[in-house]
Amino acid sequence: MADLYFAGVDVGSLSTDVSIIDHSGKVLSEIVIPTGVNGSEAAEEAFGSALNLADLTREGITAITATGYGRASVAFATGKTTEISCHGVGAHQLFPRTGTVIDIGGQDSKVIQIDSHGRMLDFTMNDKCAAGTGRFLEVMANRLELDLDELSSPLNIKGESAPISSTCTVFAESEVISLLAKNTPREEIVHGLQRSIVNRIWSMVTSIGVEGEVTLTGGVAHNKGLVALLEEKLGLTLNIPENPQTVGALGGAHIARRAYQSNLESPTN
Amino acid sequence: MLRFSKHETTFNEITKNMNISIPDRSEYLKTLAQSGQKIMGVLPALYPRELLWAFDIHATEIWDPPGEILHANAHLQTTICPIVKKSLEFILKEPDIINAGYLFPHTCDSLQNLGTQVKDLIGVSLPVYTFYNPKGSFNKMTTKYYRDILQNYQLTLETIYGPLNPEKLLAACVLSHKIDSYLLAIQQARMTDHLAMNNLDYFKLMRAQEYLLPSDYLSLLEQVDILDQPSESPRARLMVSGILPPTSEILRFLDELGVGIVADDLLAGSRRIPKFPMDTPVSPLDYLTDRFFVLPPCSTRGGDLDERLHHLSKLMDASQAQGMLFDMIKFCEPELFDHRLLVKTLREKNIPVLTLETELDSHISGQDKTRIEAFTEILFEMASA
Ligand SMILES: Nc1ncnc2c1ncn2[C@@H]1O[C@H](COP(=O)(O)OP(=O)(O)OP(=O)(O)O)[C@@H](O)[C@H]1O
Ligand code: SF4
Ligand SMILES: [Mg+2]
Repeated sequence: MADLYFAGVDVGSLSTDVSIIDHSGKVLSEIVIPTGVNGSEAAEEAFGSALNLADLTREGITAITATGYGRASVAFATGKTTEISCHGVGAHQLFPRTGTVIDIGGQDSKVIQIDSHGRMLDFTMNDKCAAGTGRFLEVMANRLELDLDELSSPLNIKGESAPISSTCTVFAESEVISLLAKNTPREEIVHGLQRSIVNRIWSMVTSIGVEGEVTLTGGVAHNKGLVALLEEKLGLTLNIPENPQTVGALGGAHIARRAYQSNLESPTN
Repeated sequence: MLRFSKHETTFNEITKNMNISIPDRSEYLKTLAQSGQKIMGVLPALYPRELLWAFDIHATEIWDPPGEILHANAHLQTTICPIVKKSLEFILKEPDIINAGYLFPHTCDSLQNLGTQVKDLIGVSLPVYTFYNPKGSFNKMTTKYYRDILQNYQLTLETIYGPLNPEKLLAACVLSHKIDSYLLAIQQARMTDHLAMNNLDYFKLMRAQEYLLPSDYLSLLEQVDILDQPSESPRARLMVSGILPPTSEILRFLDELGVGIVADDLLAGSRRIPKFPMDTPVSPLDYLTDRFFVLPPCSTRGGDLDERLHHLSKLMDASQAQGMLFDMIKFCEPELFDHRLLVKTLREKNIPVLTLETELDSHISGQDKTRIEAFTEILFEMASA
């Protein structure tokens, strides 16, 4: 089965990510770009860059799974699957003993339970608001005049945390404003914000439970302070992928590969 | 006057695949009101429709009338369910199609309070009736109580409409019995793939009983084709629980995905159909009392949760449903009360469960679409494993 390549294209609310693998599952290229205002253009651009990086042509890709909230806008995909299934499969590929996946993206956070084959068993997802998502952190970073790296620096792991009682973005923002007015150190505020997200995720985790190893995916896994707090709250060490934003795309590529293989094996072929 | 023959209305909504036509609700009721028919607006869910029919009153049900909630908010707390809000909005408009009054069954505290509010505080030009259904399951006390309230309601109606004609009541019970028999057969056919009807059409058919004259509804049911041989099974088999069926947009989406709703535990669906076929009515009072107590277990009637669980698992087995969708109306207390334990028990049995919350708006959010699709992926995996 040489020269067969598969791709996953994850059009998320903030980032569009592509992963290309070969028939054995080896990753050939991975790309993350901002989604911007046009999901289908972002998909085209990210896919083009991933092909260049892998030194492949579009015709050389056997099957492509589109995923993410903009999955329907990927015209060149051969199939589509939700990001929930894709993150499950992707996390299983990277950490085969994963039983629980926590994906914290820009607009959604999800807790996914998977079996020993990476198949999804159950999931839960945040409600309409941005509470407990990357967007929440971005709004707060803006208010604190910090960039995302500063907001996630390990410096924030220890130390006092300012009390932020709201998980709602709008209310939390006004709490931040009054804390700043009281000259509360920014690091304490950052710590308080991270804790607020962790509490939100915690309530989602408890609603479906933790099984096996826990893998954290999505862009917020870059936030080291938050990871440390989440580990403390869960009382375990999280698996953190090297590139947490492309786990959904990777899962999509594997789903495309599996679909192709099972098609070959089906008795009608 | 209530007709027991086929009603002649222009059926202006033809449902695809079904080859039968279901009239549009507001057009139909408008025509009916113009023809001089007495029409009572009835709030969800269980009420002695046969008694109203016997007085030549058409009961049209008010569940989720379309339109924005504007004025009702001024009278209600924010934590009241949208069914109550939408109903009040509708009542406040004093629509022409309702000319015989409003009936508020005691389905839940919110509806009971609404009844009192409409009657005593807000005030409408038409009479307002209440009907206090018994809570709890079949026993001597509850059956006696139910007979008493039926007789009381009959007396109330007699003071306005004159003495009840017992033959008309028996005829109404016979009609009701026929409708139930058809509905039971159709429900059974759906569970076993003997019904060539998609999700959207199925629930359109179920919900037509909320506003069609019983005779028209019966003739609609008579046209439903029950197949001799099972048709192709849907890609995934789903059961739905809750108050109302999922919105049309969700039903359409499930149809697109190839997911068939093969059984339901909906207050506006199978919870209104007796659990098993009943004998042809002889004594109306006995029949009506028996019928009330052979309806499936329901959160709005109190009772034993184990009984509800048992009923759900029987339906899931009979329909081979692989998963359960709880379509919860926001702030619906009775349903929320049972929901937690139902979900827990189903999960313990490794049955996939998805809960959606609806405010009855027709739009389906991107997040809900993803939830539904992801849930479907679990079911597809199960089906292919
Ligand atoms: N270097 C970084 N440091 C800290 N946080 C980061 C970094 N990069 C991204 N993030 C966080 O990741 C979030 C975006 O995550 P991701 O790319 O997984 O979202 P998405 O997949 O587009 O969203 P969704 O899945 O909700 O549609 C941002 O909101 C930001 O908070
Ligand atoms: S949805 Fe629930 S709370 Fe609302 S009227 Fe119906 S039973 Fe009552
Ligand atoms: Mg994402």
